[in-house]
Amino acid sequence: MVMVAPIPTNTSPPRMTTEHDILILAQWLSPAFPVGAFAYSHGLETAIHSGAIATACDLQDWLTCVLSHGSGRNDCILLRAAYRSGPQAALDEVNQTALAVSASSERIRETQLQGSAFSQTTSAIWGSDKTEFCYPVAVGHAAAQLWLDVDLTAAFYLHGFVSNLVSAAVRAVPLGQTEGQRVLAALIPMCDQIVQETQCTTLDDLSSTAFLSDIAAMRHETLQPRIFRS
Amino acid sequence: MPGPLINQLLHTDLPRTGLSQPRAQGTGKLSVFGDEHGVTRLRDLRQSGSLRLVFPRTHRPDAEAILVNTAGGITGGDQFSLNIKVQTGAILSITTQAAERAYRAQSGEIACVTTDVSVQDGASLNWLPQELILFDSCALQRRLSVDLAPHARLLMVESVVFGRAAMREVLHDVKFQDRIRITRDGRPLYIDGIDLHGDAAAHLTRPAIANGSVAMASVVMVGPDALSHLKTVRELLPQTAGATMLADDVLVIRQLASDSFELRRNLIPILEHLSNNTLPTSWRL
Repeated sequence: MVMVAPIPTNTSPPRMTTEHDILILAQWLSPAFPVGAFAYSHGLETAIHSGAIATACDLQDWLTCVLSHGSGRNDCILLRAAYRSGPQAALDEVNQTALAVSASSERIRETQLQGSAFSQTTSAIWGSDKTEFCYPVAVGHAAAQLWLDVDLTAAFYLHGFVSNLVSAAVRAVPLGQTEGQRVLAALIPMCDQIVQETQCTTLDDLSSTAFLSDIAAMRHETLQPRIFRS
Repeated sequence: MPGPLINQLLHTDLPRTGLSQPRAQGTGKLSVFGDEHGVTRLRDLRQSGSLRLVFPRTHRPDAEAILVNTAGGITGGDQFSLNIKVQTGAILSITTQAAERAYRAQSGEIACVTTDVSVQDGASLNWLPQELILFDSCALQRRLSVDLAPHARLLMVESVVFGRAAMREVLHDVKFQDRIRITRDGRPLYIDGIDLHGDAAAHLTRPAIANGSVAMASVVMVGPDALSHLKTVRELLPQTAGATMLADDVLVIRQLASDSFELRRNLIPILEHLSNNTLPTSWRL
């Protein structure tokens, strides 16, 4: 009797996360993955320039707000929505929503270019779809295609997101590497908390009260001189 | 390092006790069209309860409508819904008679304010309500949905005052959920949401949130000439505001101010410019 392999579907029961899965996510969301994350400060450069962020303490409070009340949380909601969106039409809707909830034109480019670069590399190596989606949508979709755990994907995504911003700040503020890593370590529980809190969210839960973070992203468009693309 | 002062988990659970009666209800339906001379005319108007629409003479071909909440404010359990259709050729400006006030709500009672708008091709809507003022212990869920046809135009302002600073009103415990969704042919164009549940005053002091500002405005302009206004708008903005293009024809402004007077003072020249000097008189300081 010939055993036929089950056809993979998006609705298949969750399987155990293996070390292999964890290492795939570590690779995807590492600073070495070629999405060009280092070029974006998400508006941090404006806040540093204006003096709003001058110390490690300022940076930690700012990033806490961006994570829990701004784009960090929204990206997590978008990633989850993309993960559970099977057909192309539903994914397009999530992607259009990701664009519409963006705070500025530079934030749009930041998420589009990273998403496109991410998808290009993952499709070449793991065979996931090659898409032009925003970054969290691209990551959520690729994770679903490889049956990676969505909570773990979201946790790695948030960690990568905030880790990149800490790195940007360390380059732009007179902040030591150790201080930067201390801020990042302090934000890990926040990443974990947002992953838990966004578990049952839908696109209607997208919101932001990180007004000055969003305004900083808008004002970055006219900031001179500048070293980052957002 | 302070922990999260605003609990974002609880915002979706806005329970209503089964026995509570709405204190005020209001519904409005308005539809306007442009006649063969380019004059905006009424097609349909229905209003009930505490919501009224009045139409001042403008001496212009476009129309102006003023929303009146005869209940004098919003409190827990109130329900308002408004439906507006701006049909081809019409130009409509909508404002409110006064700033809307969300007062203290009874425990467990949530007010709901829902507005659905559609704007057809060749039509234009200026959605220019005066600010919403939140009072301590308010409980309000608000939703504005605007669907635009591919060649419709929109100018929208939404401003919220988180406690009147001059009256020393401080928001220590609020439930406020706000959703703005602008779509074009059903596709999302601009999405904004605010969830404040808890000590809003403490939350707004944080540097990435509002750095102590208690008045906030969002402005969105959708139209083929939107990009041409970006430079002028930026020159008019204070340090606590930003402007950007979400698409070639979608201009977005976010602005913070220390109080509602300051917010208006900064907003008026921008809105005058973007509305081509047709800002309703209720907006004047």
